[in-house]
Amino acid sequence: MSLYKSRLKEIENILGEKDIDKKALCSFIHNGIPECKKYRPICWKILFNYLPLQKNRWEHHLLRQRNNYKNLIMEFVIPPGIKDVDLSVDHPLSDGPDSTWSTFFKENETFLLQIDRDVRRLLPDISFFQEPTKFPCEIVVNSDSDIRLHSRVAPKQLSYANVERKGLGITKINLILKRAAESYSAMEKGKEANWEVVERILFIYAKLNPGQGYVQGMNEIIGPIYYVFASNEDHAEYAEADCFWCFTALMSEIRDFFIKSLDESENGIRGMMNKLSKLLEEKDIHVYKRLQEQGIFPQYYSFRWLTLLLSQEFPLPDVLRLWDSILADENRFEYLIYICCAMIIIIRDQLLENDFEHNVKILQNFPSIDVNFVLQRAIQLRES
Amino acid sequence: MAKKTYDLLFKLLLIGDSGVGKTCILFRFSDDAFTSTFISTIGIDFKIKTVELRGKKIKLQIWDTAGQERFHTITTSYYRGAMGIMLVYDITNEKSFENIVKWLRNIDEHANEDVERMILGNKCDMTDKRVVNKERGEAIAREYGIRFMETSAKANINIEKAFCELAEAILDKTADNDNNPENQSIVVDRKAQDNSSVYKGCCA
Repeated sequence: MSLYKSRLKEIENILGEKDIDKKALCSFIHNGIPECKKYRPICWKILFNYLPLQKNRWEHHLLRQRNNYKNLIMEFVIPPGIKDVDLSVDHPLSDGPDSTWSTFFKENETFLLQIDRDVRRLLPDISFFQEPTKFPCEIVVNSDSDIRLHSRVAPKQLSYANVERKGLGITKINLILKRAAESYSAMEKGKEANWEVVERILFIYAKLNPGQGYVQGMNEIIGPIYYVFASNEDHAEYAEADCFWCFTALMSEIRDFFIKSLDESENGIRGMMNKLSKLLEEKDIHVYKRLQEQGIFPQYYSFRWLTLLLSQEFPLPDVLRLWDSILADENRFEYLIYICCAMIIIIRDQLLENDFEHNVKILQNFPSIDVNFVLQRAIQLRES
Repeated sequence: MAKKTYDLLFKLLLIGDSGVGKTCILFRFSDDAFTSTFISTIGIDFKIKTVELRGKKIKLQIWDTAGQERFHTITTSYYRGAMGIMLVYDITNEKSFENIVKWLRNIDEHANEDVERMILGNKCDMTDKRVVNKERGEAIAREYGIRFMETSAKANINIEKAFCELAEAILDKTADNDNNPENQSIVVDRKAQDNSSVYKGCCA
């Protein structure tokens, strides 16, 4: 039997048990989930503690959580007035100070705008997020009034009159604008794109966690999770709700990275960067000294590496593979630091040879290197 | 050590609210291309471009920063080393313009006193979505005594000009200060050219 086939058999056996052996599962996943799309959603849901280990509890648990999420949509996304009352009295276009709409909008404006901007530039290397989802949120996309989140923050259009008055130059610019139709544009009634779904998840998360709100980079954390669920036929239908809970679970572990006031704490982002720095010093003093001499501080590159769990450093399939191992590790974020350290050591020859600029560039645009090799080096480092 | 292929090195910094187009401006300048689908900048990014000004090869080391408040502690540490700062707002986004004052205060607090500043009103190709007219940009620039330009990374309007003008201003200052032994010849160059045509053939 080929190695691949025997691994498929192994994961089937592990997941086939009535009570899943988490330890066996984790040690299996550490070596990567077989790339046939089938297993990753289940495995990640278990690793995020979203699915219980006892399989007979799955159905009930999923039903409850998906319902809970539906309630959150009703509470935070569906504006007052749509739920039961008809729109004639209190209308979204009414600017009156008493309008429930106007408070509803104002309160959301700032961070929603930020979310809107960021989800429209999520993983632009793949077309997935610009494509329609097969399972849109019905109440949102079929409503007669425009209640989509991005409509709340759409810029006000000025009159076109002064454009017409102007000469040739402007006409030309308008043509350019039309040609470059925005790829992350909203869908017609009845449909919504994957980025719109992600927007809603982030919005609800920010509403539920007002102390933290929305911070840039959360979009990059949610991207791979949503992709894994929504691109899988068996998991796409409830991808939104499942992704929300799994994202929430992951954020509970890494939220400190996103909070400025915790930067200096042990688990804050500066604490993490210091740990990486110390580890590099211990494992490869030459490279460590070289970077120090050149004034290449960890925040030039590792701030992003750590905050985003490396999601911007590798192409998506590699990110998924990396996350398999990170999520399956007992000490997820300690292991992440080892991976980062391995990345630096792998390119040590270049770092030792080249100047400041080259080194910053290569660290900020990490060369394409087999992630399995990176992961192996990380494990070697940890065991040595 | 690689051999020096330039006469002077200027460190520039791009700041401004999230989504105003800082990364696009830099990409247009360094790679002469535009894409509207950039990932958001987390932390700080970095590009190099060498330009020729008054016969000098000037290497511009340009740092691109994340706009959101959360990243300020990370990004303000770069202000100190910057010789020029471009402060970008989006002419279709009122808030980004209002925040210019806040960004100027940041510069005061964290940057060198003699840093060259420039305000850019970006996305000036989007005439139908404009909410900040040019006069307001000019007014605030005048109030603070800063250079100002409207730009479009998409339509390639004023991008190169902006960087060159900023570099030129730094060059003037470097020549005036004259405390960098590397630059002594510039004083001569500058007298020769004086105030004549600022951008002619400025960027290589």
